[in-house]
Amino acid sequence: MSATVDDIEIREEAAQRRRAAIRRYAKHPGFVIGACGILVLLVVALLAPWLAPHSPTRTDLMNTLAPPSATYWLGTDQFGRDVLSRLIYGAQVSLQVGFFVVLISLSAGTILGAVAGYAGGWVERALVAAIDILLAFPSFLLALALVAARGNTLDSIIVAVAIAYTPRVAAVMRSVVLTIRPRPFIEASRAIGLSPWKIILRHIIPNALPPVIVVATVSAATAILAEAGLSFLGLGVQPPTPTWGNVIAEGQTSITTNPLISLSAGLCIAFTVIVLNLLGDGLRDTLDPQMRRNTGKLL
Amino acid sequence: MLFYVARCAAQLAVALVGIVTVAFFLMRAIPGDPAIYMLGDYATTESLAALRARLGLDLPVWQQYGMFLASAARGDLGASVVTGQSALAEIWSAVPPSAELAVAGMAIAIAFGVPLGIVAAVRQGTFVDVAVMALALGGISFPVFWLGLVAILVLSHDMGLFPALGATSEPGLWPAIHHLALPALVLGLSVAAYIARLTRSAMLEVLGQDHIRVARAMGVPERRIVWHLALRNAAIPILAVIGVTFAWSLGNAILVEAVFSRPGLGSTILKAILARDYQLVQAGVLVLAAAVVLLNTLLDLVYGAIDPRLRKA
Amino acid sequence: MTAATFELRGLTAAVPGETGAVRLVEEVSLSVSAGETLAVVGESGSGKTVTFTSALGLLPKPGRVIEGQALYNGTDLLSLAPESLRRVRGAQIGMVFQDPLTGLNPVFRVGDQIAEVLRAHLSIGRREARERAVQLLARVQIPDPARRVHDYPHQFSGGMRQRVLIAMAIALGPRVLIADEPTTALDVTVQAQILDLLSELREEEGMAMVLITHDLGVVARQADRIAVMYSGRVVETGRVDEVFRAPRHPYTISLFRSIPDLDAPAGTMLAPIAGAPPDPQRRPSGCAFAPRCFAAREADGCMSRRPLLTDEGHAVACHRQGMLEQAA
Repeated sequence: MSATVDDIEIREEAAQRRRAAIRRYAKHPGFVIGACGILVLLVVALLAPWLAPHSPTRTDLMNTLAPPSATYWLGTDQFGRDVLSRLIYGAQVSLQVGFFVVLISLSAGTILGAVAGYAGGWVERALVAAIDILLAFPSFLLALALVAARGNTLDSIIVAVAIAYTPRVAAVMRSVVLTIRPRPFIEASRAIGLSPWKIILRHIIPNALPPVIVVATVSAATAILAEAGLSFLGLGVQPPTPTWGNVIAEGQTSITTNPLISLSAGLCIAFTVIVLNLLGDGLRDTLDPQMRRNTGKLL
Repeated sequence: MLFYVARCAAQLAVALVGIVTVAFFLMRAIPGDPAIYMLGDYATTESLAALRARLGLDLPVWQQYGMFLASAARGDLGASVVTGQSALAEIWSAVPPSAELAVAGMAIAIAFGVPLGIVAAVRQGTFVDVAVMALALGGISFPVFWLGLVAILVLSHDMGLFPALGATSEPGLWPAIHHLALPALVLGLSVAAYIARLTRSAMLEVLGQDHIRVARAMGVPERRIVWHLALRNAAIPILAVIGVTFAWSLGNAILVEAVFSRPGLGSTILKAILARDYQLVQAGVLVLAAAVVLLNTLLDLVYGAIDPRLRKA
Repeated sequence: MTAATFELRGLTAAVPGETGAVRLVEEVSLSVSAGETLAVVGESGSGKTVTFTSALGLLPKPGRVIEGQALYNGTDLLSLAPESLRRVRGAQIGMVFQDPLTGLNPVFRVGDQIAEVLRAHLSIGRREARERAVQLLARVQIPDPARRVHDYPHQFSGGMRQRVLIAMAIALGPRVLIADEPTTALDVTVQAQILDLLSELREEEGMAMVLITHDLGVVARQADRIAVMYSGRVVETGRVDEVFRAPRHPYTISLFRSIPDLDAPAGTMLAPIAGAPPDPQRRPSGCAFAPRCFAAREADGCMSRRPLLTDEGHAVACHRQGMLEQAA
């Protein structure tokens, strides 16, 4: 089929819109910093074996608690392990937790929130009541209890944090859906007899996607903080596997003599959370001004 | 108004039953046999059976649930497996230091977060706004336990302003406050950052509303518009934020208590988790959730007092 | 004609855009005298509201006035310090807005909201402010004012809320009242009552009134003079009877054609104006109305030069004036 003049015009218009959108993103300093920061973290986590100057678990008992030097850029911990290498490998745990927690809690939360928001009536009331009750439990405490019960492998930590933070995502998603529900195309789909599930999958969820992306970045940040907290309390992935949280905890004993260990690990966490939040704020500002209201409430 | 209060009370009752239910099924949903957890892998079959019978674990789940609900209503949340004492009593004894920390932390959080959020909204786009928001972003991004460590390192170790321990057995009000100050400040400022961000967006929304434009057109002074007219409108979203952050700050308080070696619910629950004392964990989780539910009911009552439209419906 | 109480001279307001300042209103000159009603007419987006909000320093940021004056009794409001301007707003110049449903603060009693305005300008106590609020509610014909003063906005109907807002606007006896589409959001039956109330108040108080509207019927009944705005500019202005008898600008002519006329012979077609007003960012370089105009002609410069408002009683901004008059 040959392209008609109309086709070309439409395509050009779409390309123009894309270019305008890219310009808008490029102009948002927070978004640019956030996106670049995430990219850097991904590269560090993926290339850790090549980037790390030493093995993160090799102990050098002749050089415990060494100050920064040409060999050990950030010094060594009390077992003589290279702090920099531990931080580089620590990125792997944090990013995995961030990614998989978001994947799980967002899928579950989005479906729950979409069903609650779309269904209305008693289904909505029941789901909302359930979500509200779950929100009364401090999420971190919930994650703590679940991890304690299920053991502290990476998998169980991810599942525990995901379960603990799903109610929040569901609550946000419902409020997003509430703003989509009254739009005319939903009414129209209902009028032509589309089944509720098809409407949710084809219309509600795709239209809720921009806010979902924003929620995803913020949830990833929260999940990473939660994992760090668990690690710090000794309930995260166990040493010698390095996580930023357990590096801080192990550095705590020598914080007055070698503050760099805990300080640098904390800065890694903060950097990750800041770039995720900047990315989220940037997306929120650029995607749709109206959704500020929906996503601003719980996250 | 009376009807509104009654409805809030009814909601509170439902929520309390709800959290007890969730706590019950949460503990049952944990894989494995609690009796084995409690007695260890080498327990004899007889002792396991005895414990199961004592805990009612040999009964059908619904019967267990009914019994649990009934005893919870009487204030009986079972006995600690480790000490054999009432779980609720044990948790209750850890409440005062945690309540002090939570109240002091929330007070600091509100005192800093709300005014800064309002100022940032009023000066939207200016240097003040950018600075406040950058600080707030930092505040929500640094792990609270790390902030605690830094505070100990700088304010306590280097400058000697505060003790590194978050609690003391010394008698008197001043030592208690002196030891509480640092943990409360760390907890408070991390929550303040969160409150500031959300207060700003709530305030911006109100300031964009028509009635604010009307007040400006009528020559009402800007100070009065922001701190009287708009603030009352923004009060409900701001209070809602405080309600949400309260649950969150209780989670953070566990970490703060750990950093400052401060006794309280956090360390009690943590110890219970490590000792696999599930009855105690369950009681602790329930008490914290009940605190959140109670605060939210109180806030609902305040909303009704602020917004006449809520009272009517 | 007496000296104007309120006068705009060459007012131009703009917001920053992607490619330089976007002019929302351009070189608007208008005036209104005591006891007189000026109607400002135009489609939505023609700059009617922006004209007056910017004259009172109420244009939301980042918009600002880049040229012109807003004279109140000879003083340029735009040169006043913010605090002095605030003292004029509400006290000397009152304003009534379009939507009474959102114009009142939902969490304050209406009496307190009126009192807030009084106390913003007068040093009086709560009690006195409350008493005056009751009198003002009575003044705008709200029944049982002593009881209603304690009610919240949601307990009032739309028309009643607009009366409350009018009470706030006239609370300090302003000399100028600007009413921005005060009846658009109301039921048809209530509209007439509100308009009657406004003209009664104007007569009793001897105020100068600006009535922003897009309802030509309202103009005919209420106004002494009219200013027609299109795409940020005044395109025609004059006494209502003159303009209605012989509209000169093609846009005004089209406006009259687009409204139903009961006197017209049955079967006469209404003629809506084709197209839409230009986006202020992409205004044509010539006359802004040219793309929609039935009389536009390149030879007269309609597409290349901006027409200026003639300097006379019944003024018009159109290159094709001569032709139109001959045709008429």
